[in-house]
Amino acid sequence: MLFITSCLAVTSIFAQDEPKVLESDAFFEFNTSFHPLPDQESHSTADLILDDPFFGAFEDFPADFQENDSGRARWLSGFTVKLTQQILFQTKTHDVNLRVPRGPLITIPRAADVETNRVAANVRYQYAFAPGWLLQASGFARVFLHDDYEFEALDKGVDLEFRLNEFFIQRSFDKHSVKLGNQTVVWGEVDGNSVLDVINVTEFRDFSIIDIEDARLNQPMLVWDYFGDRFGEQSRLSTFVTLYPEYNPPIVRGSPFFVEPAFNITDYKRTASLEFEGGMRWSRSFEGSDIALMAAYLIENQLSYSNPAELGQDALSTNNAFSLVGFSANRALGNVLLNLDVAYSRGILINNLNIPGVAAAEDAISTRNQLGTSVGVEYAINNEQNIAFSVQVAKPLTGALQASTKENLTGAWLMRYSNSLMNGDLALALGMQGDINGEFTILQASADQTLNDRWSMGLNLILLDGVEASPISLFAGDIRIGFNLTLSF
Amino acid sequence: MQAKKLYGFAFTTIFLLTANSLSAQEVSGLDIMKLVDDLQRQSNDSSFNKMQLSSCKFGTKDRRIICADKPRVKALESVVKSYGPNLEDTKNITITLEPASERGIGMLSFNYDDPAKENETWLYLSALGRVKRIATGDSDEDTEPASLFGSEFSTEDTETGKISDYTYRILEDTLVAGRSVWKIEAIPGKERSKKTRYSRQIHYIDKERYVALRSELYDRYNKEVKRLIASRVELVNGNWLARSLTMMNLITNRLSNMAFVEINTGLDIDDDFLTQRTLTDVAFREAELDKLRQQVR
Repeated sequence: MLFITSCLAVTSIFAQDEPKVLESDAFFEFNTSFHPLPDQESHSTADLILDDPFFGAFEDFPADFQENDSGRARWLSGFTVKLTQQILFQTKTHDVNLRVPRGPLITIPRAADVETNRVAANVRYQYAFAPGWLLQASGFARVFLHDDYEFEALDKGVDLEFRLNEFFIQRSFDKHSVKLGNQTVVWGEVDGNSVLDVINVTEFRDFSIIDIEDARLNQPMLVWDYFGDRFGEQSRLSTFVTLYPEYNPPIVRGSPFFVEPAFNITDYKRTASLEFEGGMRWSRSFEGSDIALMAAYLIENQLSYSNPAELGQDALSTNNAFSLVGFSANRALGNVLLNLDVAYSRGILINNLNIPGVAAAEDAISTRNQLGTSVGVEYAINNEQNIAFSVQVAKPLTGALQASTKENLTGAWLMRYSNSLMNGDLALALGMQGDINGEFTILQASADQTLNDRWSMGLNLILLDGVEASPISLFAGDIRIGFNLTLSF
Repeated sequence: MQAKKLYGFAFTTIFLLTANSLSAQEVSGLDIMKLVDDLQRQSNDSSFNKMQLSSCKFGTKDRRIICADKPRVKALESVVKSYGPNLEDTKNITITLEPASERGIGMLSFNYDDPAKENETWLYLSALGRVKRIATGDSDEDTEPASLFGSEFSTEDTETGKISDYTYRILEDTLVAGRSVWKIEAIPGKERSKKTRYSRQIHYIDKERYVALRSELYDRYNKEVKRLIASRVELVNGNWLARSLTMMNLITNRLSNMAFVEINTGLDIDDDFLTQRTLTDVAFREAELDKLRQQVR
């Protein structure tokens, strides 16, 4: 697939098909049913020199968006619904080698199997119910069908899951906008690989979602934006605060990422003491460039788990607050867009992805200061093709874990290529990501075909490879193929 | 600002009155193209438009251009306003209404007349969760600038201004679909050559209405790669305007039609509306759009 996609890209870049030679007097078929709009002064019939097959546009423009005084029609038009049938196969039967930290090498057989088979309804609602007021909500319902891992985990029972994701009310007036409710706040310029994109909680439940853009979950916040010129022309000052920080949800039982913990883990127990997150971002646009400065007091999205004090007790989940100061900028140079994000984090956990019973307890409470940066380059090859490459690197500044240079520097790289054909009806994409130490690589290729205004379908290929001690060693050598069919209305 | 608009309108009117009595030898290609550009900008200035963008694969049969498949259709709303000392810069914001899968995608463009200033484009995708600056191209003739919502129209095809970047020559007086036209060749200057995909453009300008009825766009091998055909030329609010523009890509054999379903000009548009805020602040956007809808009722 990589080869095929690369060939497609190279062919498009370096070769140009012979253009069609169009006769100078080629014309669209004249249509006598042409009618001018009654409210426009028009001399069209007499002066028409050519007509085209699109004359119907003037009569068939979506009725919902014509002037409509009906309040009922307006609130109903705020719904966007996507129904998706998704199926994902792990197609390769093979053995994987897994090295438990400080433990032996374990060989685990993996069989080809259906991983996900589910129907999802994603509903988005947006309604400006009064001047300057907006209600926005989104959510989903999923039905896990036969052979889906959640179906199997429930002893072969059909399960239904609901989640309300976005749900906020917005009031905009003068130069201000205030939003209250469940929402996301995205910082950083480097798409999908930014050291500043740390505000939202995420859920990577399985391999049907491997991009952070699709994994973000909303949390309750109050967001205030000021768009006035008090802090510079074309500037924006954005502030958020949450009094109910959310955490990345635990991995669901049956998921390919699920590992049976040595101890029972429980939800985070909120205490009476005030827990909050807050931040401020100032941004400004200049000719060819946007810059932003930000500072935040945050609580890490991933809870930390320590072994229970006594056998038989639950694992202890704790959170960790840290502060962040950041800077981001972009610069457009013709077809090239350069992106830069810099983040200084103070007091983050050394091991903030630890798994109960596996991670060392001392790692779970040790903190460090860290300087992180993401650098990205996007290149618009032509009208249809785009390629982006980014690297994220973090370096600890203080703390215990500074044993070697290799351990000092952590980070990831990401490459995305997209080719939009047939005016976007066929979208080819290739994504590759891995860590900077070369321990693992994930390759994803997809082809999405829009069949008509309502129906679309997509094919996915995911290849994973990694060394025995990498975060994805359990899936090294796996080949996944997915298919989805979507109805939008 | 209002005085400048009046000045521009007066200049255009005087030029139109005098130009109509001149022969092709007496007006220069630059004068004509400048007027075409001015009129196009005036037609769009302070306007609130509803557009339909249709794309399909095309073929020809008996010299007739026909869609070979069912066109894919997008419904868009756009707001355009002119800026700058001679109102030769434009700011344009376009929001997708249909199809449902693309609803809410917005694009903000700043087009500068000054050849030294690169045009700017920002896009808002709800999936991305933020406004994103787009590398719009214009860096060399091998590449093509960004597409307008996936259509065969590129940002370069729809931009106004930068007239002085080209050298114009009237090739001949001829007829297009029975109308008398000037056939004008436009060759990009040295600096523009570095930024445009087209090495040569041929425009067929209606002598009476100063509208490009057809444009042929050539690549550096002097092969026609795109052709624009205008139709439904109507007098809208005092200016002649092609309400249906069809861009044919002769490489991919695909075409896109941009139909201006509603054009409302001369509106009072708040400068704050043509900013990045409109892309993200939906409550603000809808409130401002309601004000514009009130004005056109």
